[in-house]
Amino acid sequence: MTAFVIRRLIGMVLVLFAITVLTFLIFFATPGVDPARQFAGRNPDPTTVAAVRHQFGLDRPLPVRYALMMKRLFISRDLVSYGNQALEVVPAIKAATPVTLSLVTGAAVLWIVFSILTGVLAVVFKGTLVDPLLMILALIGISMPVFWLGEVANLITLDRWHDTFLFSWVPPNGYVPLTQNPWQWFLHLIIPWITLSVLYIGFYARVLRADLLEVQSEDFVRTARAKGLSPERVMVRHMLRNSMITFVSLFGLDFGVLVGGGALLTEVVFGLPGVGKLTYDSLQTLDLPVIMATVIYGAFFITIMSAVVDVVYARLDPRIRPT
Amino acid sequence: MAEFAFGPDEDVVLAPGEATEQIAGKSPWRLAGRRLLRDRVALGALGLFVLIVVLCFSAPIYAHHVAHTVVFGSNLNGTTRVNGKTVEVIQQGGGKLGIGENPIGPTWQTNYFIGSDAQGRDVMARVLYGGRASLAIGVGSAAICCLFATALALMAGFFRGVTDSVFSRVMDLIWAFPVYLLAISLSTVLLSQTKPIVNPASLWIPTLVIAVVYIPYVYRPVRGQVLSTREKEYVEAAVSQGASNLRLMFNEITPNILSTVIVLFPLMIATTILTESALSFLGIGVQSPHASWGTIIQDGQDLLYTRPWVAIAPGIMIVLTVLSLNVLGDGVRDALDPRAKVRETKE
Amino acid sequence: MTGKRRWGWLLGVVAIAAGLAMMAAAFSAAGTKSRAPSNPQAFPKLRAVLDTIDYLDPQQAYTGQSWWAMWNVYETLLTYRHVEGAAGYKLVPGLAQSLPTISKNGKVYHFKLRKGLKYSNGHKVVASDFKWAIKRGFLATGQGVGFYTDIAGAKAYAAHPTPNGNISGIITNNKTGSITIKLATPRGDFLTILALIFAAPVPGGTSPDIQNGTIPSTGPYRFKSYDPNHSFVMVRNKYFKPTKYIPRGNPNEVDVSLVGDADTATQMVINGQADYSNAAIPPDRIANAQSKGRLKLRTNANTYYFWMNINESPFNKLKVRQAVNYAIDRGKMQTLIWGGLGKPTQNVLPPTYPSYRKLNLYPHNVTKAKTLINQAGANGAKVTVWTRNVSDAVDSATYYTSVLNSIGLNATLNILPKATYYTTIGNVATHAQTGWARWLEDYPHPLDWFDVLLNGNRITDQDNNNYAWYTNKTTNKEIEALKKAQVLTPAVNARWAKVEKQIMMQAPWAPWSNRTFPEFFNKSIPAKCIHVQNLYGIDLARLCK
Repeated sequence: MTAFVIRRLIGMVLVLFAITVLTFLIFFATPGVDPARQFAGRNPDPTTVAAVRHQFGLDRPLPVRYALMMKRLFISRDLVSYGNQALEVVPAIKAATPVTLSLVTGAAVLWIVFSILTGVLAVVFKGTLVDPLLMILALIGISMPVFWLGEVANLITLDRWHDTFLFSWVPPNGYVPLTQNPWQWFLHLIIPWITLSVLYIGFYARVLRADLLEVQSEDFVRTARAKGLSPERVMVRHMLRNSMITFVSLFGLDFGVLVGGGALLTEVVFGLPGVGKLTYDSLQTLDLPVIMATVIYGAFFITIMSAVVDVVYARLDPRIRPT
Repeated sequence: MAEFAFGPDEDVVLAPGEATEQIAGKSPWRLAGRRLLRDRVALGALGLFVLIVVLCFSAPIYAHHVAHTVVFGSNLNGTTRVNGKTVEVIQQGGGKLGIGENPIGPTWQTNYFIGSDAQGRDVMARVLYGGRASLAIGVGSAAICCLFATALALMAGFFRGVTDSVFSRVMDLIWAFPVYLLAISLSTVLLSQTKPIVNPASLWIPTLVIAVVYIPYVYRPVRGQVLSTREKEYVEAAVSQGASNLRLMFNEITPNILSTVIVLFPLMIATTILTESALSFLGIGVQSPHASWGTIIQDGQDLLYTRPWVAIAPGIMIVLTVLSLNVLGDGVRDALDPRAKVRETKE
Repeated sequence: MTGKRRWGWLLGVVAIAAGLAMMAAAFSAAGTKSRAPSNPQAFPKLRAVLDTIDYLDPQQAYTGQSWWAMWNVYETLLTYRHVEGAAGYKLVPGLAQSLPTISKNGKVYHFKLRKGLKYSNGHKVVASDFKWAIKRGFLATGQGVGFYTDIAGAKAYAAHPTPNGNISGIITNNKTGSITIKLATPRGDFLTILALIFAAPVPGGTSPDIQNGTIPSTGPYRFKSYDPNHSFVMVRNKYFKPTKYIPRGNPNEVDVSLVGDADTATQMVINGQADYSNAAIPPDRIANAQSKGRLKLRTNANTYYFWMNINESPFNKLKVRQAVNYAIDRGKMQTLIWGGLGKPTQNVLPPTYPSYRKLNLYPHNVTKAKTLINQAGANGAKVTVWTRNVSDAVDSATYYTSVLNSIGLNATLNILPKATYYTTIGNVATHAQTGWARWLEDYPHPLDWFDVLLNGNRITDQDNNNYAWYTNKTTNKEIEALKKAQVLTPAVNARWAKVEKQIMMQAPWAPWSNRTFPEFFNKSIPAKCIHVQNLYGIDLARLCK
C-alpha cells in the first residue's frame, strides 16, 4: 500500500511539472502579448519599454524565464501579476480560495443529499410514475448549460420575481465573507449553490439508481429482507453502503475539479471572486503568472483527488487491487 | 425380441419451403438494433434530435422565405411590420432623457418571431443558424475525438509496452489539465495570433480544441476494453492461426470495442455541445461572423432583463438537443448490453 | 407497501421544512431604508461603487477611476478648479503659491512651494519632495514617465535611474521652497503635464515599490485601507488646510467598493446599499434605472473612431476613406452602441476643447459613398476590420463591417482579445487595414491628441499609436510648431482648428462618437449636490446628502 501511494505521489509531481511546462509553452507562443508594453503605459518611450522589459527579466531566454517564474511562485512566493503590479499571485489565490470552497462545499452538500434522496426514491417507487419522472428531471438537469441556468436564475430572482416574497431576499450578485457577516454570506450563496448542484444532482441520482438496482438483485439483499428487516433498514444499512463505491469515487474527482477552479462559469455568472473567476479574468488579459498559478492549482487538486480516490476505492472494494 | 427404437419416432416432416430455408443466427448487432427499435423513448429522442438537426440546417430557408431577414451583419435601421404597422426594429428608449434603446421584443409572427437582438437581427433565424454551427462543431469534434481516441487506445492496448506508456502518460497529462482551462487556453492562444496561420473565424479551431480536450475521456474506457478483449480466447485462437497484428486489431478486437465507442458517441456529442456553448459564451469559441448557441446567449446577456428571449431561446435549444442525445445514449447502451454498467461521461 | 408510504411521508416532511426555510429567509430580508437627510454640508459616509481601479500609487495610477479618488488625496503643484464647465479646465495653484513664472524661451519654469504644508503623517512638505516624485516615477518605471522626458537631464536619468542620481533640470531649495524646472526643449503643454498626478510630491526617499494607499497625502483626504480588487477607504487628512481653490470636502469618509458587474453595481445603488456608481449601465436598463435613482450624464473628453491605414489598400485611396465617412450613420450608432449616451462627431478633438470647431465634412450619404467607391475602383476589395473583445467595440465594429459591405467592399470582422489588441494593430507587420479605436484624454491639451495620434514624425514600427499611419508634411510641420506655443491663446486655438480640418479632409479616421457616461446616484443624494468636474468626473468633495 505504501509503495503504491508513493508511486502515485511521484507520478503526480511529474504530471504537475509537465503541466507547468505545457502552460508556459502554450502562452509563450502567443505573439502580441508584451507585458513590458502593458506596464509601460499608453504612450511609452522605446527606452521606457526596454527598461521595463529588462526589469522583469523579459529579455532572458525561455528556460531561464520559466525557472524564474517557478522560483517566484513556489520558493519566494512573490510572483507578481502582469496586469496589476500590486497584485501578488499567491495571496490572490489564497484570498480567492475561501470563496470557491464556500461555493463548492455548499453545492456538494446539496447535491449529495438530493441525489441520494432522488436515487433512493426512484428505486423505491420503481414501477410507478415517480421513477421515470425523477429520471427525466435528472436528465434535464444534466442537459442544461450551467451558465445559462445561472443567467435564468439571475433573471428570475433579481428581476422578474424579485418583488415577490419568494425572491425579495435575494441580494445582488457578489460575495460576503463568512467571517464578515454569516447571514449575508449564506444569502448570497443560496442561488449559486442551487444552480451549481442541479447538474450534479441529476448525474449522481442516475448513477446511484443504476447501482442500487444492480445491488437490489444481489443475494445478500434478499437474505436481509428474508430476515424480516424493514425496507428502510435494508436500503440504508445494506444497499446504499454497497452502491456508494462508484458514487464516492466519482464524487472525489468532481469535487477535486470544482475546488481547483472548475466552477468557473458559475463564479463568472454570479460574480463570485473565487479561483475560477480569477482564472477567467487572467485568461482575458493574458496575465501569464496568474494563469500559471491557477492552472497548477487546478491540476494539483485533480491529480491529488484522483490519487485519493484510487486509494479509497481500493480500500472500499477489496476486489480491486491497486496497480 | 422387442424392438426399442431410440431414434425419433417418425421423421419430422418439414413444411414445403422450410427445407430450403437457411437458419440464420442473429448477430449481436441485429439483436441490439431490434432492441433499440423497440425502445420507444430512445426512438423518440432520436426523432427529436433529427428534427432539431433538420430545422437548423434549413436555417437559410427560414431566413429567406419565412422571416425575410438577413442574419449576419447589422440591421440598425431596419423596420418590420407588426399587425399591419411598420415598426422600427431598434426603438429609442423612454424616460425624461429619452435615452436607452430597446430592440423589438417577440412579435410571435413570422418576422422577428422572438424579437430582435441588439444589432437588429431576427433572433429566431439566428438561433437556427447558430444551431448549424453548434451541431456541426458538436458532432464533428465528438467524431474526431472518438476516432482518434479509439485509434490511440487500440494501439496502446494492443501493443502495450512503450506505446502504451507514452500514450497513457500523454493522456494523463491532458486529463489532469483542468478541462475548461485547457480548452480556454488553447482557444485564446489560437485566436490571438498576429499573423494568423489559421483563419481565426474558422469553425475548425473550436472543433479541434474541444476534440483534443476530450480524447482522454474516450481513450481510457476504450483502452480498458482493448486490454480485456485482448485476453479473450477467440483472440488467442486467431493468434494461433497465424493472424497478423493488423488483422487481429481490425477483425478481432475492433468489433468488440465498437459497442463501447458507440455508446460513448452520443454522450460525447452532448458533452461537446455543452463545452462549445460555454466557450462561445466566454467569447473564445465561435467567432464572428459565425454564430452559435453560445454566442447568442452571450449577446443576450446584456439584454437579459428587458429582452430575455434572446438568451433563453438558444438555451432551450441546447437543453432539448443535449437531452435527446442523453436519452438516445441511454437507449443505445441498454440496447447493446442491457446488463452492462458503463461509466458515463458528462460535461 | 408500508415502506413506500414511509418514504412518501419523509418526502413530505422534507418539502415542508424546505418551504419553511424559504419563508424564514424571505421575512428576514435585509431591508434598507434610505437615510434621513442630515447636515447638508458634511456627512458621515459616502458609499461609492467603481468598476475598477489600477493603482492608488500616485506615480503609477493611470485610469480615470483611480484619478477620481486620488485628485482629492495627492495634490500637485498646479491643479484644476472644483467647478463645472469649461472653467474647470483652468489651471490654478495647488501646492505652489501661484502660477509659475516662465522664461521667454519657454524653457525655464519657476515655482515656489506654499509655506507650512504638511503630509497626512504630520511631516513637512519640502521642495525636494517634488524632485523625488519625478525620480520615483523613473525608478518605478511608472506609466507616466514618458511625459517628463523633456526635462533637462531626464533622459539621461531614465537610462540608468538610481536613488542618488540627479536630474539636472530640476533645482530645488528646501529653505526657500523654490522649485526651478529647466526643459531640454520647450513644450506648450508642460503646465498641464505638471498638473498630472504623476507629478504629485511624495516624501523624499519613498520606495519606488508600488504602494497602494500607504503614501502620506497632501490633499483633503488620505487612504485608510485598500483591499486589492475589492475596496478602499478614504478618510479626512487632519493636516490639510483648505485653500481658495481646494475645498475641505463634504464626506467625512468615502467607502469605495470595486464591483465589475454593471448590473450588480446599479442594483446596489437602487437598493440603497451604495450612494453612487459609475457603472456603464446596459442600454436596455437605463430607462428602468432612471426611475429608481438619480441619473447624471457626463461627457468627458473622449473620441471613438475607426482608423484607416493609409498605407494599406484600399484605404490608400482618399476617395475610399471619404466614402467610409459618408457611409456611417453616426446618429443611429449613438442609439445602437450606447443607447443614446453619446454624441455624434466628425472631429478629432471632443467639444470640451476651446479650439473645437464642429466639422461636418461628411454628412450621411450612402449613395455618394457608393459612387466614391466605384470611382476609386475599390469594389469588392477585401477588407479585414479589427476590433477588441469588449462588447461596445464588438458592436460598433459589427455595424461598421456591415456598412463597408453595403457600399461595395468585402469586409470581415476579426475580434482580438483585449490584452493583445493595441500591440497587434500598432505593429507594422500586421498590415491592419482598418479597425476600432478610442482615445481618452490624459490631460486637456490638443497635443495629447495630435502629437500622439496623428503626427507622422512619431510613427514607430511597434507600439505605434498612430494606427492610421497618417503622415502629411503640412500638418506634421504645424503640429511641431504648435508644440512650442506656451499658452492656448485664441490665435493658437485657431491654428489647432485649422490643423484638425486639414487632417479630417484627408480622412485617416472616421470618428463617430463622443461618449457620455452615466453617473448613477441613490435618491438620497439631492440633485443640487451633484457636480461634474470636466476632468475628474463627479466631484466627490462637493457631494452632499
